[in-house]
Amino acid sequence: MLRRFWLKCSSKWKCLLNVVYVKLMVVTTGKNSGREREIVVGVIGQPNVGKSTLFNVLTGEISHVANWPGTTVERKEGVREYKGKIIRFVDLPGIYGLSASTTEEVIARKYIVEEKPDLVLVLVDSTAVERTMYLAIQVLELTPKVVIALTKSDLTHSLGIHIHVDRLESKLSVPVVPVSAIKGYGLRELLDAIIDVAEGRRCRREPIRVNYGSFLESTISDVERVLSKSALSRKYPLRWLAIRLLEGDPELEKELELLGEDEVVHGVRRIRESLARTYGRELMELFVAQRFKFIDSLLGDVVVRVEKKARRYEELSLTELATALLDRLIQHPLMGPVVSFISLLILFSLIFAVNTGFPFNVLLSYLGFSELAELIEEYSISGLLGLGFTYLSTLLEPLLKTCLGPQVTSLIVDGVIPGVGAILSFLPLIMLISLLIATLEDSGLAPRFAISFHNFFSRFGLSGRAIYPFMIGLGCNLPAVLASRTALEEEERRQLIVSVPFIPCQARLVVILAFVTTYIKNPLGQALALLSLYAISFLVALLTSILTRRVVYRRKEPPELVIELPPIHRPSGKVLWWLTWDYSKHFLRKAGIIIVGLSIVTWMLLSYGPEGYGVGIEKTYGALLGKLLAPVISVLYGLDAEKAWKVGFALLHGFIAKEAFLEATSLLYGGVSIDEALRALGFTLPSLMAFLVFFTLYVPCLPTIAVIYQESRSVRLTLSVILYMIGIGLVASQLVYLVLASLTFLYS
Amino acid sequence: MTTTALDMVPPGTRCRVIALDVGYGINRRLMQMGLVPGSEVKVLDNSGRGPLVIEVRGVEIALSRGIAKKILVEVLK
Repeated sequence: MLRRFWLKCSSKWKCLLNVVYVKLMVVTTGKNSGREREIVVGVIGQPNVGKSTLFNVLTGEISHVANWPGTTVERKEGVREYKGKIIRFVDLPGIYGLSASTTEEVIARKYIVEEKPDLVLVLVDSTAVERTMYLAIQVLELTPKVVIALTKSDLTHSLGIHIHVDRLESKLSVPVVPVSAIKGYGLRELLDAIIDVAEGRRCRREPIRVNYGSFLESTISDVERVLSKSALSRKYPLRWLAIRLLEGDPELEKELELLGEDEVVHGVRRIRESLARTYGRELMELFVAQRFKFIDSLLGDVVVRVEKKARRYEELSLTELATALLDRLIQHPLMGPVVSFISLLILFSLIFAVNTGFPFNVLLSYLGFSELAELIEEYSISGLLGLGFTYLSTLLEPLLKTCLGPQVTSLIVDGVIPGVGAILSFLPLIMLISLLIATLEDSGLAPRFAISFHNFFSRFGLSGRAIYPFMIGLGCNLPAVLASRTALEEEERRQLIVSVPFIPCQARLVVILAFVTTYIKNPLGQALALLSLYAISFLVALLTSILTRRVVYRRKEPPELVIELPPIHRPSGKVLWWLTWDYSKHFLRKAGIIIVGLSIVTWMLLSYGPEGYGVGIEKTYGALLGKLLAPVISVLYGLDAEKAWKVGFALLHGFIAKEAFLEATSLLYGGVSIDEALRALGFTLPSLMAFLVFFTLYVPCLPTIAVIYQESRSVRLTLSVILYMIGIGLVASQLVYLVLASLTFLYS
Repeated sequence: MTTTALDMVPPGTRCRVIALDVGYGINRRLMQMGLVPGSEVKVLDNSGRGPLVIEVRGVEIALSRGIAKKILVEVLK
């Protein structure tokens, strides 16, 4: 009966049940059973070889995301069922080689050596085999269980490249499979090869031996003799160990020292240093050069390139012409930065406009077309979503009240629904921005734009790629923090995470404009106030970045730009969708939970007081907190206690969502118009500007905080960001106050 | 045959790498990208300010001037 049931199951169910069975076997017997054992494949490749595309095609969906232990580098896994076997693919970071000089390289090497996958799938870009084969050779020197996939093989023909796969295969003695993830061919052959190698039918017995020339070879043998007694030679292949130590490998030296084999380390170091002196350069240079020489001789009769005659402009198609024109423009020394800046500004403005109407709504209402501005806002994605959620709340409220009572109803209507609403209203924005970034990245435009801005950002300890988070930050800080992933190195990424939240986002602009138009009547004065607030925020953000680099990370030099510029091409829709969905799913899962949780906490703060539920606003915990802040606020901005606690309370609201500040103030004055409520606060010009500086800098909104945590995975960093921002907000606002107050005093 | 720093090489010129005098991590990255002493490089873009673009082993790479200054090359005809 069981058998009949099994045959009836669809393949998806079979795969699922199989996984459950295997997991159960692991739990009950402590090891994988022989027959149903899954095949584990480590997937490795240099940047830009199309790894994420192939990974997605092979696995369909990522089944498991975690971080590599002790790092913020993501570890993705995906499972594929093929011919009754379960293949688990583990995505290793994109790296250039296995020298262990970056965290990513250490991760990849440790994985291959310590987790012992059944095989390593190395991706080699068939449009740049001469370069990308390097990693494959390094992997082959470490382990014989390798399958090589030649990616992007749909492009070779048009580029005039022909690869004799069979020759390469017989020279390397491992399966080499040309594939195209976009066109979907070669995948079955690849999966067959994976199973063959995993089951020991088609694989090398020994790692590959690169001939390093008689001189280096004799040195390698010397070092092998020194190492043969070392405990490490049981973990790594002896020859590989000798070569790595000769090239200089701090990771391996550390391992040896931990084993107490200091004299081995010193012995090898002596050999290496005396040779380096003889040669006048590092040994690694010789090894790498030899490895490339090996690759050249390997590929000599394998890769045939037909030199295509350079076509004249008249012969190009319209898209090809546009691409060529764009490429020329971006790389032009003077036009480049201007063209890049304007194109990015237009692209991002369009996306924000679709989402919230920004910046056109602000512009229009400022120019006096407030009806048109409202129309744009109403029909933007977030306007429509907001409408939906308000409708849902009003629909549910009476229904819930009758069956659940007012407290639970309020929890759902004022706590849970706005929380979920906040997540959902961020979602389209995040999806559109990640779609745009994915398009820029996949088309090869992103690194080209970044070059134009490198000169500017390198002054502040950042690379040109910082333009993306900085520009996105003007619309919304949350996706800007997410975009810190574009950074070249871990330090730069953290610098971006702590500095980007200072950039005045759209919500802050709304509050600033409300204040400025209420208090300042002269249009020139309004513009001046607005511009100076933006200037102060950007200055603080950039200074924060350079300070973090110099003081926290003790790095003097800016991140050096070494980036590949893949050829500009039309991106694939499939890839864009994967990248976008991957980004967004992450946000929903990680930040979503935090946002809903914190919305419930703030709901409690704003509806409960010491006397319980259902007391007036003035008796809630939120109001009490506002009163706690009141003395500070009244000293800083010269407000009386009654006004000060209201500002404190509204600032608390502003922490949840910046624009909520306005709503809260009007609520506290019994629901008068926002204009009136703001005027009632009675700021003077110096105290107004000082307050607005504080308001812009004091802290990003709560969902952004959730994402700062999601991206840094550090409670310490997240809390430090909050405290630092409050501190800087206070200092900067006091400085502004002092300057403006003394100026008014002088001129009055 | 002239020896010079890479950042002084005009666009469209082919040259051969003689030595790299850059920091540890960058040195390893550049070498693994194929930029080793002896390898041939073509300068595609060098406007005198900002990063320059070179071609190594069929791949375009952008380098900041700080790095290019420390790469010694000989210009090929």
